[in-house]
Amino acid sequence: MATVAASPSYARPAASEKEGFMAWLTTTDHKKIGTLYLHTSLFFFIFGGLEAVLMRWQLMKPNQTIVTADQFNQLFTMHGTTMVFLAIMPLSAAFFNYLIPLQLGARDVAFPRLNAFSYWVYLLGGIFITLPILFWVAPDGGWFAYAPLSGRTYSPAINMDFWVLGIQILGISSLAAAFNFATTIINMRAPGMNLMRMPMFTWMSFVTQFLIILAFPVITIALVFLQFDRFFGTNFYQVSAGADPLLWQHLFWVFGHPEVYILILPAFGLVSEVLPTNSKKPLFGYGVMAYSGILIGFLGFGVWAHHMFSVGMGPVGDTVFSLTTMLIAIPTGVKIFNWIFTMWGGSIRFTAAMKFAIGLIALFTIGGISGITHSSPPSDLQQTDTYYIVAHFHYVLFGGAIMGIFSGIYHYFPKMYGRYMDERLGTWHFWLNFISMNLTFFPMHYSGLLGMPRRIYTYDTAQGWDTFNMLSTIGAFLLMPATLIFIWNFFKSKKGGEPAPANAWDAATLEWSIPSPPPEYNFAKIPVVHSRYPLWDLTHPERTKDVPHTDEGMRHTGEHDVVDMHIETERRTAKELGIPMPSSTIKPFWTALGIVVMFTGLLIMPHNKMAGLVGIFTGAAMLVGFLYAWLTTPLEEHH
Amino acid sequence: MTRKSPPRQLARIAWPAMLLLASAACGGNYPNSTFLPNTEFNRDVTSLWNTMLLWGTVVFVIVEVILIAAIVRYRRRPNSPEPEQVHGNTAMEITWTVLPLFILAIIAVPTVRNIWKYQGEAPADALQVQVIGHQWWWEFRYPQYKITTANELYIQANRAVRFELQTVDVIHSFWIPALGGKRDLVNNRTNILWFTPDSTGEQGFIGSCNEYCGSSHANMRFRAYTVNAANFESWAKHQAANAVYPPPAPVVPAAAAVPTSNIGAATQDPATVTPPAPAAPSTGYEFPREQLGAHLVPGTPLPASLKFNEALLANASAERGLQTYSRSACIGCHKIRGNPSSMGILGPDLTHIASRHTIAAGLFPNDAKHMAYWIKNAVTMKPGAKMQVFGIGEMDAVMKRPMTTQGGLTDEQIADVVAYLRTLK
Repeated sequence: MATVAASPSYARPAASEKEGFMAWLTTTDHKKIGTLYLHTSLFFFIFGGLEAVLMRWQLMKPNQTIVTADQFNQLFTMHGTTMVFLAIMPLSAAFFNYLIPLQLGARDVAFPRLNAFSYWVYLLGGIFITLPILFWVAPDGGWFAYAPLSGRTYSPAINMDFWVLGIQILGISSLAAAFNFATTIINMRAPGMNLMRMPMFTWMSFVTQFLIILAFPVITIALVFLQFDRFFGTNFYQVSAGADPLLWQHLFWVFGHPEVYILILPAFGLVSEVLPTNSKKPLFGYGVMAYSGILIGFLGFGVWAHHMFSVGMGPVGDTVFSLTTMLIAIPTGVKIFNWIFTMWGGSIRFTAAMKFAIGLIALFTIGGISGITHSSPPSDLQQTDTYYIVAHFHYVLFGGAIMGIFSGIYHYFPKMYGRYMDERLGTWHFWLNFISMNLTFFPMHYSGLLGMPRRIYTYDTAQGWDTFNMLSTIGAFLLMPATLIFIWNFFKSKKGGEPAPANAWDAATLEWSIPSPPPEYNFAKIPVVHSRYPLWDLTHPERTKDVPHTDEGMRHTGEHDVVDMHIETERRTAKELGIPMPSSTIKPFWTALGIVVMFTGLLIMPHNKMAGLVGIFTGAAMLVGFLYAWLTTPLEEHH
Repeated sequence: MTRKSPPRQLARIAWPAMLLLASAACGGNYPNSTFLPNTEFNRDVTSLWNTMLLWGTVVFVIVEVILIAAIVRYRRRPNSPEPEQVHGNTAMEITWTVLPLFILAIIAVPTVRNIWKYQGEAPADALQVQVIGHQWWWEFRYPQYKITTANELYIQANRAVRFELQTVDVIHSFWIPALGGKRDLVNNRTNILWFTPDSTGEQGFIGSCNEYCGSSHANMRFRAYTVNAANFESWAKHQAANAVYPPPAPVVPAAAAVPTSNIGAATQDPATVTPPAPAAPSTGYEFPREQLGAHLVPGTPLPASLKFNEALLANASAERGLQTYSRSACIGCHKIRGNPSSMGILGPDLTHIASRHTIAAGLFPNDAKHMAYWIKNAVTMKPGAKMQVFGIGEMDAVMKRPMTTQGGLTDEQIADVVAYLRTLK
């Protein structure tokens, strides 16, 4: 067994495997799609970061004119929209794609072509919503798009049309992906892997899929209302016709708060893989970790109105939402302590991934504590819509989600590319990122409590905010070299990193039992799982002797050869092994393009009715036609 | 993995830097701090904050100490033994589930008490102020005193003030951080906010809009002055009165000479002169200019592209200004009580415009120079401003062509209008 970890190299992919542009365009392989997600979302992460840097430059000193008011308003709208919908969510999706089937011992996701479709909708939707900022006609109503400002009366130009339609496009992608992954997790676990034996990343992803499935329909309804108001003159949010604009706020935040957990839970899952592996210990309190994730997801739907304490809901509403919000701190706190005690007593190896995971614990704690301070409505009335809130949620999303995702990238890079990332550069990246992140966001606690509102493109002299803004801007500037180091490391290591064995970190879960990078079929033989730590059963049986090993949950999958846990070293093609794989197809791409053409038609309809209608019908025809062709083609080639 | 990591040097300076930052916030001049003990609300919230900060710090220290202890103590070394495999500990897990509940209870009790305390009824004798949000300025009405004014709020020290918050366009949020929490202005409903500035004395404060409301959200500021009862009555009485043109001679001691000027000529023109207002005091109380703190003096620079012949301001005629004002588009949006042609309601009430310290919702000082630039081309000075561009040759953003003599004003005419507006004390 010990020989396995030492086996140094694997055959490169067989020559018959298709590469090149068309291979990517037509792929249905979850790993390739995951790679596409990773690169695209990293691009958007950098794009959104540059938007933030421009904003910080403008706010470096009072009364500056680096950008105009309207440009600034577009920047903060697009920074939020980009980071939420185009960077963090799809970064998580990259891991869902790449890891969930590998962690489950499956050969692909449940619906491989739907998976490709999700990616193409995301990419095209991302372009749809991002292009306008290059011409300064981007959405400018905030990523929250409060009515009535987002309506045609107060935002008559095309700017908000991009947002209303773009977010709907992206919602299609998220929903399709969520159903896909939920189905995959429910149906495609390896024999013996019952729910309580799933790796924690898959567990947190499982919860996330249900959050997406339940939250995205709400924003979709809100967006359809807004779209009808803007394009067809309905009165859902038309205040002059008596509408209550709080309808939008309630719908938006019923989506918007679970969205926070959609962003953070996958990162929690990633560090729950990194911490035990690098501590040579199992996750402390596995059951409680899973349940607390479920509880966070559940409570996440009952706290939305804490975003609205200043709208005047009355004391009953304020009290209820205050108390539910405080409660959500408990499962979150449990996670923090369980992570720390996973490390306690362990043998900690400080890989770059581990540093980022520890960074998440340290920084997310700050975000959690500041969150408590505005769960209290009287206190929140002095904090909401100030820079204090900006500080808080950047500790949650940058200190939490992004640190977790970086941790995941360093950790899973060897699996994806068969090479390690450079640890020395990773360490530089971590410390520079950690320090400049704190330098950017910590002073914002002060500027907020000292009365500085959010979303202002400028501020006056002598308000007591100058020092803090200067510090924040310096921090934001320093985040650029930090990210550059990472990008350089990423691309350099892909080509010339130190070769990594299959089990690069001596981990416990199935994805490490197959070659790196994995062959297209993942598992030549589907493994049978007897405990929570199937690979340690094999490599470190002494570590898992206290864990229950039963055949409970064993079931027949109908898959081809099922074998006991083993490590695969051979790399052959699926054809040679007689494994049916989903065939490549371009139909999901054209279907996705049809949807985007359709929305583009609607977008230009107010400006040119004829062209708009042509666009809508062309797009609809593409959608229906290619969907029909897709659904009538069998998934697998005959073999 | 055993390499010494050079960036750890960076980390060593990071923590002291943060401590330094924390201590920096204790000194310094922070006029908009939410912790200024000017109202009972702010004092209660400060005490709530202190409770949360205390327990938050306790939790933070516990977490970070255990975390750091773990990573220092259990760092992998060449001869590290195989760790003991611990899968959990029910007692410990119950502890860190239940202990936070107690901390949350400590925070929840004053929270709920304060929620109900500050959403109760205001005292019956409270000063009533109607706050009406506009893109991007504030209208203040005092129904008890029949006053309508804009962007400068006078309230009485030691008397409760009850705001009725409404908006005419999009959602705004009314906030004076040094005096209390914010409350949104939501369409089709009236929100209430009240507090008592009981320890401010005579002071000025900055207020702002806190809900993003479009282009000039950042420029939707206002001033709030807490003044004593006598000064408030003086201010209110004067503000309630109509504007009088020509302005009455200031009341001066009998010994002093009353300056005679050519303003008497204007009274002979019945077409433009307003009927005498009911017993207007010559001037009312104004918050003294010299008591304005640095934070109350706007520092917004004038746009470099905008030019105005400032020399004209010295020789302008208020008389001609009145004529020009009353025949131009100004009257469509602005009201000057006492000028029967100026009946607009879309823009700020200008009846006592000269008694204010700022124009354009706190963006510029209210002096002849800034007023002239503002009339010439408001939208270059405040993005999205709805006020029409008047300067001939200036680009009219709505019509998308330069202003002509049709409706436009020359620099001379603008100077005259400014001179007129300057008389509206």
